Amino acid sequence: MITLDFLINAISLGSTYALLALGMVIVYGILKLVNFAYGELIMITGYSLFVLTLGPHLPWIIMAVLAVGVAVLTSYLTERVAFRPVRSNSLTAMLITSFAVSTLLQNAALLIISPRARGVPLPDVFSESAVIWGQSVPIRSLLAIVTSLLLLGLLVLLLRRTVLGIALRAASDNFRMTRMLGVPANLVISVAFAISGLLAGVVGLFWVGRTASVTPTIGAAPLLVAFVATVIGGMRSLLGAVVGGYIYGIVFSLIGVLLPQGLLEFREAFMFLIVILILLFRPEGLIRGVNSSRRV
Amino acid sequence: MSVLSVDGIFVRYGAITALRGVSLSVKEGELVALIGVNGAGKSTTLATIAGGLKPHQGSITFQGEQLQGRSPEYITRKGIALVPEGREIFPSLTVAENLRLGAFVRGSRAEFQRDVAEMVELFPILGERLRQAGGTLSGGEQQQLAVARALMSHPRLLMLDEPSLGLSPVLVDQIFELIDRLHRRGVTILLVEQNVERTLAIVDRAYLLHTGQVEVEGTPAHIREFGNVEGVYLGDRGRDAGRKEPQ
Amino acid sequence: MMRMKPPAWISRNSTFFVLAVPLLLISAVTFLIGDTLIERIITVLFIDVILVLALQVFMGNSGILSFAVAGFMGIGAYGSVLFSMTPAAKAAALPDLYPFLTQIQLPFLVSLLIGGLIAALVAAIVAYPLMRLSDAAGVITIFSLLVIINVVLVHWSALTNGPRTLFGVDRFTYLGTTTVFCIVFLAVAWWFKESSTGLKLRASRDDAFAAASIGINIVMMRYLAFVLSAFMAGFAGALWAHFITSFSPYAFYLSAMFVFLAMLVIGGPNGISGAVVGTVLVTLLREGLRSIENNVNMSKILPSGLVGFTEIVMAILLIVILILRPAGIMGGRELRWPPGFFGLRGKRETPAKDGDV
Repeated sequence: MITLDFLINAISLGSTYALLALGMVIVYGILKLVNFAYGELIMITGYSLFVLTLGPHLPWIIMAVLAVGVAVLTSYLTERVAFRPVRSNSLTAMLITSFAVSTLLQNAALLIISPRARGVPLPDVFSESAVIWGQSVPIRSLLAIVTSLLLLGLLVLLLRRTVLGIALRAASDNFRMTRMLGVPANLVISVAFAISGLLAGVVGLFWVGRTASVTPTIGAAPLLVAFVATVIGGMRSLLGAVVGGYIYGIVFSLIGVLLPQGLLEFREAFMFLIVILILLFRPEGLIRGVNSSRRV
Repeated sequence: MSVLSVDGIFVRYGAITALRGVSLSVKEGELVALIGVNGAGKSTTLATIAGGLKPHQGSITFQGEQLQGRSPEYITRKGIALVPEGREIFPSLTVAENLRLGAFVRGSRAEFQRDVAEMVELFPILGERLRQAGGTLSGGEQQQLAVARALMSHPRLLMLDEPSLGLSPVLVDQIFELIDRLHRRGVTILLVEQNVERTLAIVDRAYLLHTGQVEVEGTPAHIREFGNVEGVYLGDRGRDAGRKEPQ
Repeated sequence: MMRMKPPAWISRNSTFFVLAVPLLLISAVTFLIGDTLIERIITVLFIDVILVLALQVFMGNSGILSFAVAGFMGIGAYGSVLFSMTPAAKAAALPDLYPFLTQIQLPFLVSLLIGGLIAALVAAIVAYPLMRLSDAAGVITIFSLLVIINVVLVHWSALTNGPRTLFGVDRFTYLGTTTVFCIVFLAVAWWFKESSTGLKLRASRDDAFAAASIGINIVMMRYLAFVLSAFMAGFAGALWAHFITSFSPYAFYLSAMFVFLAMLVIGGPNGISGAVVGTVLVTLLREGLRSIENNVNMSKILPSGLVGFTEIVMAILLIVILILRPAGIMGGRELRWPPGFFGLRGKRETPAKDGDV
């Protein structure tokens, strides 16, 4: 049943997925790196919230900002410490490094905190609903949509109106040439990772908001989502990532409603089958861009 | 006064030595060319000066400072701009944004508008396409954009790697005319070209490279007399080994 | 002293012997010592060697990272136990199993073969189109394969008991079995590497265009390597299933994949020596770290115990190796035995470098 409730949920999911995909593509576009540690940034956000509750009482919004800040810092640090030294080796080395960082972060959470889920504080609004057109809609979903649009708007401003943003987009087109124009490579990459961390952090707030808890492996599912949404949108295009995220969110919700129960469990498998098909037949994604990617 | 001075550089690609003791110099305001067949080492020389490659021997001095081994960003900030082979403009950025990035090393905004106006005067076509994505431009327009972008940084030395490559004869005329115009405006230029006759017609001096070494250097007249240019191109010398080495 | 020249076929394949002999020695010593714990560790070591060799066969030769090895291990595990378990055990553990499968029971060795073959079959059917892709696209599609396999294993409850543990597998795998098959697959991996397919694959890894221009069908070469890799992984999975006797689908997912990757990368992905050396070293390291973990946990120094310590050390080690010595401990070479000199000298395999970043 396509009700308002369903629509809001689907778009809310799509908004979250769009931010998620964007965070992944912004790094991939420049470095060609699929960052396996990306999902862990959501985990870090969640655990930061948890840790903050152990200290003096702070308003939730402050904790949220701090938690996202930790995600940004983590993203920046993983690049500085783990990826930068390996950058000049091969792409495969970077991939494996990101996988190692992912394992490292997950087990660090296991070790330092606990293998068991930990409760995460939520603002009161997350459990409230608004009544729109006679139907009850969770405010959390509305917030997700609004926050995403805000962030996307800010990012567009950054990317189109500032020199840094232009440099980021240029680096995504042609990293080598960007350097040859005198743009410091490390600065561009650090900014990209910071933005990636920011996006993952914000998504993290809403992600842990669904269950009000965080586990060491909570990053696995968002990582997969980021993969799929990124591929759907064409891995090089920032706009494509956003569109891909929305498409994924909406399709995923639709499948949830339309598929018979028996097949529903295989929903994830279907999405990854779509990933494979897209990469095989339309690697530039479903969005037509000015570039095209390379294939053997 | 020598703006650029390259002394005896040796550059390796893996097991192959692409440059074997190349030396050249460019004075302020000069238009100097590197000519030679494919694989002679012309592009390698430019790439090394620009910081993309590191020589394991020899030095590169620019305005009194040693630049060999420095990063491309540093070298660009010092005033050397390279227009690479294949143009490499940013396809998803607009013409204006491409130019904006060319001016990155300069920083301030007010000058940007003035510089763009200057570029539009030099390249009227770009003026019409300022808001268009770089990827939608034709080959010749992209070449112009690449040069304009490099000029945006007000370089002390402009290096052009095969600017006429892949262009139709009419456009080739335009490119050489443009280079000549820039030269007369006082831009110091180091040009790599395979189009020997057109090149020798406009340059002050040239270096004929072959298999990673400078065979002959001097004025166009000198080169025409001593360079056995046709021989090098058509294989009189019989030194085929050099042709297989990468640029 | 007179130097004896061994026959050509031995010195040509000296790498295989240099690796096989110490492995046999390890096995013999373990058997003689007779300690159960050590025997278990070494048995698993040999299975891990096969798995890392499976990874090496594809990744070392084609240069493409394959996350699917863990998935094929799982297919082999479940595939083989479905045929080796007694009908009674199957009826108890897998009540929804299809009747013809419940009835069937085959000898252990046959079930091993079946496990490998089913994995190879799945790879054969699915993988050909994937082999066209390189770099990031190739890695993502193969990774997607792993996810799909995992989802299927987790949800096809009739066959696998779903996300729950599958019980009732007979313990058939012992030290002797794994030793024998480890040596066998070592030979297979070596043979493949030195075969024309292996050579062509490595040529294409270093320069795809050049290879294609001399007529090498890159896709077909990769495909063969992938299917072989799947067979080996499936076989190893079958061996492991009959060792551990109860398991769930999550044993064949990312955590396992991390361990295999660590073993191969630390050892050196460009040859079978790296696979073996890496597996042995990492196993030793892990067991050492594990015992530290256990001791700390038992003495209750830390309130919630030391969990994940082993993995953290492994991850850090992996990152350090990638930064300092990306070609692994073996550094792109194979162990050889030139006459009179036991050492690392030998043909240098140039590690592959992907294109510019």
